[in-house]
Amino acid sequence: MAILTEGRLVPLVAFIICWVATYIAIQMGQQGKIKIRRIPGLDAIEEVVGRAVEMGRPVFMIPGRGTFTDIYATQTIAALSILSYVATLSARLGAKLYVPMTSVDVLPVAVELVTDAYKVEDKIEELDVDEQLPYLSGTQFAYASGVIGMAARMKPAGNIMMGPFWAESMMFAESFNRVGAMQIGGTARMYQIPFFAALCEYVLIGEELFAAGAYVSGDPQQVGSIAAQDWYKLVALALSILGAILATAGITVIGDLMRM
Amino acid sequence: MVDYRRDIPLAITFIIGVIAVLDYYTNIQVFIDTFTVIKNWGVVLQAFALGLGAINLLRVHGRRITEKRDGWYFSAWLLAMMFLFILVGLMTGKYEAGATYNWLYNAIYLPLGATMYSSLAFYMAYGSYKVLRARNFEAGLLFITAVLVILGNTPIFPALFPGFFNMREWIFGPIVGGAYRGIRIGVGMGAVVLGIRTLVGLETGYLGRR
Repeated sequence: MAILTEGRLVPLVAFIICWVATYIAIQMGQQGKIKIRRIPGLDAIEEVVGRAVEMGRPVFMIPGRGTFTDIYATQTIAALSILSYVATLSARLGAKLYVPMTSVDVLPVAVELVTDAYKVEDKIEELDVDEQLPYLSGTQFAYASGVIGMAARMKPAGNIMMGPFWAESMMFAESFNRVGAMQIGGTARMYQIPFFAALCEYVLIGEELFAAGAYVSGDPQQVGSIAAQDWYKLVALALSILGAILATAGITVIGDLMRM
Repeated sequence: MVDYRRDIPLAITFIIGVIAVLDYYTNIQVFIDTFTVIKNWGVVLQAFALGLGAINLLRVHGRRITEKRDGWYFSAWLLAMMFLFILVGLMTGKYEAGATYNWLYNAIYLPLGATMYSSLAFYMAYGSYKVLRARNFEAGLLFITAVLVILGNTPIFPALFPGFFNMREWIFGPIVGGAYRGIRIGVGMGAVVLGIRTLVGLETGYLGRR
């Protein structure tokens, strides 16, 4: 029996190359050799929190409906990094942060992150975990109606939605838009991106969400790792163009290679 | 200096991550078996986490009831329904097993969920209205494209003018398909790099501490 699973040789090689590229990018980031473009949606987070402080209204951070055990776990992890950043800013600037929760396994981690952020800013007495991080429901539309109700009652000044979303994304974006909240949406779920694009002031599209945690951390090592994403994309682009040209000429070598 | 609260979870993450990678790429039985056990542990842990959600609901809504805040009766109703579902579920079993639970689910939860879902049509109509206002050249192009797709989706227009359906297919194929794949590739890359950052301990958001 073969050691490698059939059809996964090339993905394994690609994964190893990606690992090496990420390591090199991290090292280059540490040496300050990597500069990445600004991401307006992430730069605007401070503006959203600041707006909430000025208006004396709360700010919402919704980390999506993913869990740690589904295929959207990477998006959930990215969303939690943003949550940590938003919680730190909210504690520092004095904005009331609300994080409605739906995933029971993400709930304790989110609580720990927000508590940690408030502790670091020495504002722990301003945090009411039960009220500010309520578990609404584990089912989609019960959760959606809970969030919509909170938005209608509290009229938040800002709403940051990052992570995996499903049909509720449009409901959230529209409900918060109606109460005048400034919104930043970010998801890697393709069908939800247009909804966020329609109603949010800023949108993180696909891969930008994964870069978010590293971007807001400001850590040169993490920022460096984002460059690896771009290198890899360039390789994918080159392979796509080459594959298309060769396939047009009747040569299927790239396609055959990818199936190995 | 070693920070055990940070370093031990990071070490566990690395080991489990490597096992997951080996399980995916190789046929080595020991990794397949080990990862199956780990996945089962995950399911058990998630079941325990459900209790945390119930406790949070009890604390939040219990407090609202005892303090008689505005709308406290909604909280009382929520807790009553939660206990009703739990009790009936425990006593009769749920879904196929218990007719009572099934009835409760179909008579209460299902219509409420369907109502929320159907309201999406109005949200989408409003969103479309906001997006499809032809305020500039790009928005005008978007508007024309959307009209062609909408007409292509209706039964009558493609029946009367077959070109509408072909145009819709063409928009979905070469134009949308190309952009879609570009984003998909970016998402894949981003997820892989985030995974690597997590494995090497640079991304610690999932630990609940920075």
